[in-house]
Amino acid sequence: MELPLLERARLGDPIARYTDPDFTPPELTSLVPCTVPGAGEQYRFHFDMTKCIGCRCCEVACNEQNGNPADLRWRRVGEIEGGTYPFTQRHYLSMGCNHCVDAACLKGCPVEAYTKDALTGLVLHSADACIGCQYCTWNCPYGVPQYNPERGVVGKCDMCHNRLADGDEPACVNACPEEAIQIEIVNIADWVLNHSAANAPGLPPAHETISTTRITLPGKLGPELEKADHTRVRPEHPHWPLVVMLTLTQLSVGAFFGLAAFGTNGPIAAIAALLVAGLALGASTLHLGRPIYAYRAIKMWRRSWLSREVLLFTLFAGSASAFAAATLFNLPRFAAVPTVLLGLAGVTASAFIYLVPARPAWNNWYTLADFHLTGLVLGPAFLRALGVNLPVWIIAAFATLQLLNQLLKLLHLVRSEEFELKASARLLSQDLKTVLMARLALLVVGGIVLPLAGYAIPALLLALAGELTGRYLFFVSVVPRNMALPWLTQGGTAGKAAA
Amino acid sequence: MNWKRIAGLDNLSEEYAYGQDPVHGYVSARKIADKWTSTTCGYCSVGCGMLIGTRDGKAVAVRGDQAHPVNKGKLCPKGLSEHYTLQAKSRALKPLLKTNGKFEPISWDCALSTMIDKFRGVQAKYGAGALGVISTGQLVTEEFYTLGKLVQLGFGTSNFDGNTTLCMASAVAGYKRSFGSDGPPGSYADLETADVILLIGANVADNHPILCGRLERNNEAILIVADPRVTKTAMLADIFLPVKPRSDIALLNGIAHILIRDGLINREYIDAHTTGFAELSTFLEKFTPEHVAQVTSLGVETIERVAMLYGRAKAATIGWTMGVNHSTQGAETVSAINNLALLTGQIGRAGASPFSITGQCNAMGTRESGFTSGLPGYRKFESAEDREELATIWNLDVARIPTKRGLAYPDIIEAAVAKKVRALWIIATNPVVSYPNYDVLIQAFENLEFLVVQDGFHPTPTTELANLVLPAAVWGEKEGTYTNSERRVSKVNKAVEPPGEARSDFDIFLAIAEKLGVNDEIFPGWTSTHDAFEEWRKVSAGRLCDYSAMTWEQIEREGGMQWGGERLYTDGQFETPDGRAKLFRVECDPFPEQPGGAFPLILNTGRTVEHWHTRTKTGEVAILDSMAPKAWLEMNPRDAKKLGLKMHDNVSVVSRRSRVDAIELRLTEIVAPGQVFMPFHFAETNVNRATQSAFDPISREPNYKQCAVRIERTAEARG
Repeated sequence: MELPLLERARLGDPIARYTDPDFTPPELTSLVPCTVPGAGEQYRFHFDMTKCIGCRCCEVACNEQNGNPADLRWRRVGEIEGGTYPFTQRHYLSMGCNHCVDAACLKGCPVEAYTKDALTGLVLHSADACIGCQYCTWNCPYGVPQYNPERGVVGKCDMCHNRLADGDEPACVNACPEEAIQIEIVNIADWVLNHSAANAPGLPPAHETISTTRITLPGKLGPELEKADHTRVRPEHPHWPLVVMLTLTQLSVGAFFGLAAFGTNGPIAAIAALLVAGLALGASTLHLGRPIYAYRAIKMWRRSWLSREVLLFTLFAGSASAFAAATLFNLPRFAAVPTVLLGLAGVTASAFIYLVPARPAWNNWYTLADFHLTGLVLGPAFLRALGVNLPVWIIAAFATLQLLNQLLKLLHLVRSEEFELKASARLLSQDLKTVLMARLALLVVGGIVLPLAGYAIPALLLALAGELTGRYLFFVSVVPRNMALPWLTQGGTAGKAAA
Repeated sequence: MNWKRIAGLDNLSEEYAYGQDPVHGYVSARKIADKWTSTTCGYCSVGCGMLIGTRDGKAVAVRGDQAHPVNKGKLCPKGLSEHYTLQAKSRALKPLLKTNGKFEPISWDCALSTMIDKFRGVQAKYGAGALGVISTGQLVTEEFYTLGKLVQLGFGTSNFDGNTTLCMASAVAGYKRSFGSDGPPGSYADLETADVILLIGANVADNHPILCGRLERNNEAILIVADPRVTKTAMLADIFLPVKPRSDIALLNGIAHILIRDGLINREYIDAHTTGFAELSTFLEKFTPEHVAQVTSLGVETIERVAMLYGRAKAATIGWTMGVNHSTQGAETVSAINNLALLTGQIGRAGASPFSITGQCNAMGTRESGFTSGLPGYRKFESAEDREELATIWNLDVARIPTKRGLAYPDIIEAAVAKKVRALWIIATNPVVSYPNYDVLIQAFENLEFLVVQDGFHPTPTTELANLVLPAAVWGEKEGTYTNSERRVSKVNKAVEPPGEARSDFDIFLAIAEKLGVNDEIFPGWTSTHDAFEEWRKVSAGRLCDYSAMTWEQIEREGGMQWGGERLYTDGQFETPDGRAKLFRVECDPFPEQPGGAFPLILNTGRTVEHWHTRTKTGEVAILDSMAPKAWLEMNPRDAKKLGLKMHDNVSVVSRRSRVDAIELRLTEIVAPGQVFMPFHFAETNVNRATQSAFDPISREPNYKQCAVRIERTAEARG
């Protein structure tokens, strides 16, 4: 299919005509294709690092094009640097969305806000479908989707596909004084087989999502080039509603586990555990940019762990309500088993949300163990505080396992060679050291010492504080994968969120 | 925030909607204009053509002008967001008079009467020269021409200079010395046709990014960049010359030495068009490659290779900016650059020129018409003939025209410190941030009886110290012309009305002239900048900078017109009395404040692409401020190790003058061991507290580029 560009080139560019009636038609620009992709093809960016001078025109032009706030940028320019003076190397990476073949943002989205456009292959995002859960911002290894707090939804580069359809250059392509950004058409099958040209220093490996952006690298690139911002590691957003939601759903599931395992002394404990679950699920909607559309989150349960989590916890809450009602009729304790199974599945789904390659400190079995052990410590402690007669060694044992889990995770971070994991370890041992110490102390005192000493209510309060702190640390200490960013600022909302 | 937004029913889809701009296509609906006004960018002297989009009289967008020959539709990040400067929160809106330490709004009439009373009072008491005026490179040429007449003929003081002396005075002086007149001989097109391009102390990638496209398109050329710092521009180079600070003169002399030694000079050109070759030749004998290697820290082979490339080039261009100009030997360095061009005849041909890339949007306009360091039209104060000529055009007694230049900018400040200048009028510049050795400037201000600051923005660090603030219109709000580095006169148009009571500088000048009672004499019948332009055409007629054949309409239609044509001196005839260019013997002296003892490091200052000068404009543009919100200090990791400093440490720059605190430390191999670099844009961390009062004796330009400092942790020092 021909695009209007061909015709425009023949007739003369209307912008040029506007400014000068005698303007002669320019030569056909080669920065955008003149046709739409054919079968098995898609659009992609080509970025020529040898041409980029780091002037950041593309960033400003992108924001003007899309009317975005100043601190939120769909195209970002990063710096990479290496060598020794005077043989210093400094280069720039300009990146919008890579419109990946295997887009991680799309796979995780619970509401199908993302689609891979059938005609152009572009990964498009619908601000109307989006509920602002921000799961895509954790999934993308390049930090491309950006949450806009003003709107309550995420947004990202769509390659100005509406401009492309009119034969106009995307804003970044149009603005670049060096012609370092181009739009090309790529054969998807060929690219899946060999996409090494999508790799560059300062970028996560392309194979994970099969980024389609082709990058032309300078000929003599030193092996020691690093992200200019690699020493600037700042705590991430704490996501308080999620801290509350995760800790309390886990507590509730743990409580039903306790009820199923050790029985109850009447309906109070079950009803209390149900209320906690309700509180947790209510809190979770506060995380959303658009809480009123929380129900949409179930939509993509076949694909998204977030949808599965919402679905399983909804079923858990239903089952728990039924069980709580049934406790009035003195049912046997194993009637709680379906509730427990749904709850454990829900906690597992919760954990799997965080097992994403783009956030390496989360992407391990410690996360799964962490989430379950929180429930297994707090649930029984909760029941014990309500006077349910269950052996305290259960609490102490799970707390010991949680302690072990936390220490092993720290060891894993410290010993890793991976930048993001090392950086997480650095955060925990420097900026967040006091919080980490408090978290471990609360676990030991609230989870082991006080239960064994028979102080059930103080034990619950301290243990709960410990697990909430732990979940806070979980969010703030993760160092996401990202493209290289400028030394001075983090660019986009990343810096803002941490501020 | 409304409840619908909190609940999530509303996601601001209307605010974030897109639409079809009839000219520029699919775009955020908020950026769709109902009118596009073509104009020229108001930041640097590249002089990009652009369009300001307005809707309901408010600027909503800017676009590069695709038909403009300078930029062909491209703009730098500052240009791309320039419309925001018009609506900055810090725009000056009302005349303000400081009474009992507080600004009170007053009427224009009262403001100008007060100003004139105070100025006249000071002049009556201490002499006409007790009034100093410091102007800018930001006005339109028509305003510069008007202001020059107002100051010199109306107020009768010659102590009048522009902030251009902080910027390109050395280039002006260097051109005058070598060629007999100011005026960059080349064109941007030379960057596309030269086969060797040597950039000295010019970080165009950060400072003139739109010129980089020309370097990029010229695949044939060998690009050589000499800079002590591995700038973004150095990364574009085929050959990077990491010279020691202020060793550029040795490099230039060394190249000249090799050219003469190996017969790579154009003897015919030298004999026909220059004077001083024999003396220069003898003088250069000592600049052997070995000696130059020692001074510059470059290898002998590199120096030989660069000289060969330059000497054998079919067309070679040398471009420079502040690395050369910001020096006590700035004018002389320019002479040494001109020497190379003259020795090889690399001037006056396509691709061949010694080319000063200027700073401000209309620094050239004030150089030509401004009446500061010379009489309008590149005329000389000292020339009786020039004075007669002007007196005739102006219909004035020739005795009214000064016979020598008044004080230059730094000398006005020194005179204020010495209480010889007692009142100052500052127009569109912010010396509190831009002037070297802050403490001296503050002392000068404190000694004044009256300070008037006329600016588009308030508060700025300078307006805050004023007795009277006059709110002025800025770029986008007035009409006239700018002249860019390649002598291209481009049209500047009004897209929006000035905010509040702000008035164009031209209107302010005319109103002052009327109160002075000199309107009929010096601005007879003038009502608009067009009247000034018409007179300027007559004044410039027959001069090197000849505007007489230009009309505003033609300038507009052609996307600007270059005075003097595409290049100057094509016939080898120069503006000197004998028509010959002069070759100069330039010693390579050490810069004035050498590092050592308590101040072991060399401080270098410069710019970053996101900002313009002292940020009164770009600091108000949210995206630019967000991209570069604060200053930083670059230091080599090897120095940091010795000092026990770490990346991101909070450090202070301490010099013999003063200190700058709370700067984030960047450890990087961009700077050489022994040197540190800091951007000068930021009032909050003003590097000019540390820089020194050392000025080029010829051009009076400050030596911003090198001074001795030490770096220490701020927390330690400040407890």
